[in-house]
Parts: sequence; C-alpha cells; structure tokens
Amino acid sequence: MLDRLSLRLRILLIFAALAGGALAVLIGGLWFAYHRLGTPEMVPAFVQVGALVSFGTLGLVAGVWYLFDLNVAKPIVVLSGALRARAHTNVAGQMQGDLARYLGDLAPAANAAAHSLTETRNALAEAVARETTRLSAEKARLEALLSDVPVGVLLCSADHQLVFYNGQAVDILGSDAGPGLDRNLFDYLNDGPIRDAYQRLRESGDPDAASDILCSTKRGARVLSARMRLLSAEGGARAGHVLTLRDVTADLARQARREALMVETFDRLRRPAAALATLAEVVTVAPPEMNVPLHAEIARLSQAVTDLAARHDAARAEGWPLAATRGSDLLDGLRGRLAAIGAPVEIAADPLLLRCNGFEVIGLLAQLAEHLPSPATRLSLHEEGVDAMLRLHWIGTAVPLASLENWLATPIEAGLAGVTGRAILNAHATDIWPESHGTEQALCLPLHVLRRDTGRPKPIARAVVYDFELLSKERNAAVIDARLQDLTYVVFDTETTGLLPAQGDEVVQIAAVRIVNGRRLAGEVFDTLVNPRRKIPAVSTAVHGISDAMVQDAPMIEEVAAAFHKFAEGAVLVAHNAPFDMEFLRRTETATGLRFDNPVFDTVLLSAVVYGQHEVHTLDALTHRLGITIPEEARHTALGDTHATADAFLKLLPMLQGRGFETFGAVLMEVRRHGRLLKDLN
Amino acid sequence: MADAAKQHRVLVVEDEDNIAIALNYLLTREGYAPDRIANGGEALARIRATRPDLVLLDVMLPEVSGYEICQEIRLDPALVAVKILMMTARGSAIERKKGLALGADGFISKPFELAELRKEVRRLLGVEA
Repeated sequence: MLDRLSLRLRILLIFAALAGGALAVLIGGLWFAYHRLGTPEMVPAFVQVGALVSFGTLGLVAGVWYLFDLNVAKPIVVLSGALRARAHTNVAGQMQGDLARYLGDLAPAANAAAHSLTETRNALAEAVARETTRLSAEKARLEALLSDVPVGVLLCSADHQLVFYNGQAVDILGSDAGPGLDRNLFDYLNDGPIRDAYQRLRESGDPDAASDILCSTKRGARVLSARMRLLSAEGGARAGHVLTLRDVTADLARQARREALMVETFDRLRRPAAALATLAEVVTVAPPEMNVPLHAEIARLSQAVTDLAARHDAARAEGWPLAATRGSDLLDGLRGRLAAIGAPVEIAADPLLLRCNGFEVIGLLAQLAEHLPSPATRLSLHEEGVDAMLRLHWIGTAVPLASLENWLATPIEAGLAGVTGRAILNAHATDIWPESHGTEQALCLPLHVLRRDTGRPKPIARAVVYDFELLSKERNAAVIDARLQDLTYVVFDTETTGLLPAQGDEVVQIAAVRIVNGRRLAGEVFDTLVNPRRKIPAVSTAVHGISDAMVQDAPMIEEVAAAFHKFAEGAVLVAHNAPFDMEFLRRTETATGLRFDNPVFDTVLLSAVVYGQHEVHTLDALTHRLGITIPEEARHTALGDTHATADAFLKLLPMLQGRGFETFGAVLMEVRRHGRLLKDLN
Repeated sequence: MADAAKQHRVLVVEDEDNIAIALNYLLTREGYAPDRIANGGEALARIRATRPDLVLLDVMLPEVSGYEICQEIRLDPALVAVKILMMTARGSAIERKKGLALGADGFISKPFELAELRKEVRRLLGVEA
C-alpha cells in the first residue's frame, strides 16, 4: 500500500508519525510524573509544560520535515525524473546540480552515470549510424525501384491490414483520404474475390502459387486486374500477401464495345446476305419487278458494311494500347536523334497530347530522315481536324512513294530489331506520305490526338510507404490489454476562436498525424482549416495567425469532423490537454451521427505520471524537458503543435514502459491516480 | 451535251472486273468515252501514251498502288492537265488526306452513289450540269 504513494508523501507520513510518537512519549512522561508526585495543584503546571513542549516538538519536526522535503525528497524526485529521461530517451545535457546540493555526491554521481551512458550511447549510435547509412542506401535503391514499377503494389498482413503501398497503388485506389499504413485493405477494395483468392492460396499449400483475380474499388467502381501471392509465414503465423494491381476499367469497356460491334456486325450482315442469295436464285426466272427487293437488299447490305467498317476503324484508332505522349517531348526527342545524324532542325509544336509510342515514332522518323535526298531542316506538329499532323521538312527534291515504301519495309535499326516502319504505322492505325510544294518538301505523319495539352499534371506521389513489423503484429487484443507499442495513435491538435467552447468558440484548424508501430508516418497527415461560421477575434488571430479571410472557403466542421473520424478510425487519440480538443470534437457528434469513442491519452497526464505533479506540464515545458525544439513559425499552428506533441509522446512512451507500465490499461490506471489534475476522458 | 462529253477521255484504273463493268456502263451512258486498265504497273504507260482528261484511280491495285500512280502523274509536267479522281473501298480520313496530299483532285468512297460520281466527274471535267 505504502509503496504506491509518492516518495514525498511517504516522507511526510514518516515525519507526521515521528511528531505523533514524540507527543505520545511526552504525554506519557508527564502522566507518569504527575502520578508519582500525587499533588493535584501541580496539574496546571504540567499542562502548561506539556503544551509548550508539544508545540515546540511539532514546530521542530515540521521545520525539519520542510527542510528535508525541500532539500532531499524533492531533489530526489526531480533527479529520478531527469535520470529516467536520460535512461529511456536520448535527452542529453547536465542535470540540475544546485537543487540537489544537499544530497552529497548523489547528483554528481548521477551526472557521471548519465554522462557515461551518453558516451556509450553515442559510440553505439555512431556504429549503428554507419551501418544504417549503408542499409539506407540499399533501401533507397529498392524503394526507387518499387516506386517506378508501373503497377500498384500492396503488401498486406494475414488480416488484410496494409503494410506497404507504392505511389501507383495510391493512384489506383484513389480514395479521398488515400491508403494508409495499418488500415484495412477492404476499406478500399471489395472483399469477395480477395478473400476467396487468399483462402484458395492458403489451402493450396504451395508457397510459390499465385492467383489472378479481378476485383473492384469501393469508390469510383474501377475494375482492377490483380495477382495475389502469399508471403512466407514465420513461426506458424498466418501468412500475409502481396497484391499487384492494374487498372483495367478502360480495357474492359473497350473490349465490351468491340464485342458489341462484332455481334451487331454479324447480325446486320447475316440477314441481307441470306435474302440476297435467295433473291439471286429467283431473279433469273422472275419478271423485272423482282429487281426492286433485290436492290433494297443490296442497299441494306452495302449500308451495313459501310457503317460497321467506319465504326471498326474508329474503334481501332481508340483501341491501340498506346501511351499518352506529349507532342513537345516527342519533337524534342526526335530533334536529339536528328542532331546525332548531323541534321539540326528547328521545331514548332501545338500543345497536344498524342496517343502514340514515342520511342517507335522517333525511331521511324529518324530512320526515314537518313534516306531523305537532303538533310531535314524543320519539324512541325499541328492540329488538323481530329488528328495532329507531324511534318518532317526539307528543301530539295521530292521522295518517290515507291522509295518511301521500300524504306518502310526495312526493319528499324535503333533497338527495334525486326520491326518495320510499316508495322509501326499499322500499330498506330496511320500512314505516312510525302508532300511537295516546289522545292519545299515534307513527310506527313498523322497521329491520334488524345487531347490538347493543358500542362504537366502534378507528379504522382511515387514514394513507397511501408512498415514490415506490422506483419507480425499481435491483433485483436482488447485495447486495455494491448501493449503500448502495438497500438496505433492519432495525435491531433486544434486551433480555435477562443478557449471557451461552452460560450460559442469554434475550431478554425485541425491537424493530426498517425503513429504506427512507434513511428510517426511522415506521409499520413491530416491538416485542414475549418470555417467557424463566426468572426475570429483579433486576439486569437494574433496567436495562431488564422484570419477570417483564410477560413472563408474552408469546409464546415461537420465535413471536417467526418473526415477526421475516418482518419482516426481504430486509433488511440492523443492530444495535449485532450479535454479541450475532445470537447470540440464531441460537439459534432449529433450533427454527423459519428461517435468519437476512441480511447484517449492526454500528454499532460502522461507528463504528470513521468515527472510528478509538481512539474509544469505545458507543451513548451514538456518539449523543453525532452529536448524537442518547436520552430517558432510552427508554434501555435495546429500541425506544428501536433508534431511537437507527437514527438513528446514518442519520448514519453519508453519512459512509461521503463516505469513498468507496459499496457494501455496499466498507463490508464496510473493516469487516473493523477485525475485530480485533469479529468480523464476514457 | 453528249457531243461535248465525247471530247473527254476517261481512263478507269480498276482491278475488280465487276466494278469496272459498272463504271464503263455508267460513263458510256453519260456520254463519255471510257477506257479501262486493270494493272497498276501498266497504268502509267497508258496514261502517258493517251493523256486522258480524267483518271478514275483505285487505291488498292496489284503491283503499284494508286497513290504511287497519282504521285507519278503529278511529278510529270507533261501530265499536268490530267485530272485524278481516287476511289477506295475504305474511305478513312487518313486515306483521303494522303490521296489529296499526293495530288488527287477528288476522292470518292466505294460503294459510290450514282449522283455523287456523276457530280464529281462533271466537276473535274468542267462539264455544265
């Protein structure tokens, strides 16, 4: 029982017991003396002496306790807090020596121990850093490789939580919030075919087996062609899996249109053909008026063939699996190739996005340029009707079509062995021909235009995001029994119009980061302004810098709260002075119908557990104690304070574990003992 | 009109016999004097020899394509007065562009309507309707 009390309280109790004991001995002594004397008139004198000595003793004990608490007990608590910080995190620097000056050699000895620990840690860190640098370089190469793979790659644990994703997967899944580590795959993809394939692969018992499936996204109804392969499982655990994804929505739609065209083709040709065959038999023996149905059937057949052929040509042009190529890039590439063969050319291009294989088109034209009677002088690309016309100009004599056909029949040299120019033209559903205006000559190549070029799109986030530790993470433990490092945390902070939610203050900004497996995920950030539907007082704007104009077009709190609810799904919420921020979130529950019933950690209370209640627990004081610097420009922005809180939280976690609080439940019990400081929200 | 038309010599370069028969019939009925050749390789020699007023030129021919014949006609200054009406069974936009770029004066798709053919021939020969 006593060991659960704080050191200072225990010492207070010892001194109180000492004072109580001294009083008891004094009263006992006086009582004994009075009985030995047996003179009742001495009672007032005994009482006076007793009172005087009692007060003197109590004063003396209280004075000694005060000095002992000030100079011994409190410095021991401070010193132990500082030692914990140095033992469990990499806080460096001298500890406060003057506070512990009456503890003899304890403070210098603690400093020496901490110094020695720091030195050992630094040496170890250097060795680790060297090895880490080498591994990081290799990791960076692998990441670059994976981020450029032209398919989406996802790695999932056995219970389908995301452990890895690359930039293409973000593009394909394309959900509003984007995929996030340790989120469930079925938040993004419909689960049926995936569960089925996973089950089949597990039952097959073949570690090399792969399963090709079609699945679909939950939003946008994209159809994906996916290949699933199981990962090797360790120690009898269930295996995770890798999914490679390719968006085949457009392919399938194209295939469906072609199929429909084929069905219609046979349907429309079969009937007039049969009728014609019959009429042809009859017409030889029939009178001239039988020519009327014959002509009608011929016209019908002829019309069907013409229509269907035109639609087939259009479908061909649309259907070639050719990438979108920027016209200016194509001409730049071609200019480079022509310069290499001694034909520097000028270029002029409309801003167009073409559907073509740039490598093949450049190879074709570069080869043709070598055969021209004079060196090429100019390249142009202009919109003509629905197509674009690429022209390679020269001054001199015309090229006979027969020669051009011969050149097209020879294989293209540069890297396209065996592929002829004519094959490239066929693959692009186009043709090439010479054009002649006196001595001005040109080769004309029509190319299919995808659309006008409206500038380069924002680059796809190509980074790969992963944490392979998630594969072996124990799940399904109730939060209360979950180990601290196994929980996912969402650390957040709000900026508001003021400090009194009950009197109409509102949120103007909310930011959050995710912590998975003890790591703050740089790419998974929630940060948005909020329209508070009221004026922001100037005094608040002076603190966080957010003005009325800045939030004018921002989303309303209900919309933001719903998005934040999704972001925080399945996570423990962490905030500095959480009751304040939670009050604002919980007020939205009626409007959104979403409940913020996540478990909550308050870093104010965690700081009190680690450092004791006598310390100051403001965010500035806490981060200062933990050696975290908040850049001045980031202080009092929601994201800046969120980063600081998250970093402080990550340093407090090992300190809590060092104190023996390994699970969420253990920390919660300890926090509740500090409940006097602030109310606990769980 | 028939007398005026007879002054115009029309050469049909077409390898498909049935179409050639039909064209011959139609052109004769219109009052022109049509001639026909089936082989692309021999067409140019015939054109140089007879210098017709109009060549009805099919694109897909054995040996030498209609496009090549078209270009050769246009590169020969002696044949500058020869009008060329190209014919194709497919009639895609790219074929039409290619034919006109190589010097054809007109382009019609097979199967052609009588009225359209009559109109194009008259336009190219400058015959009043």
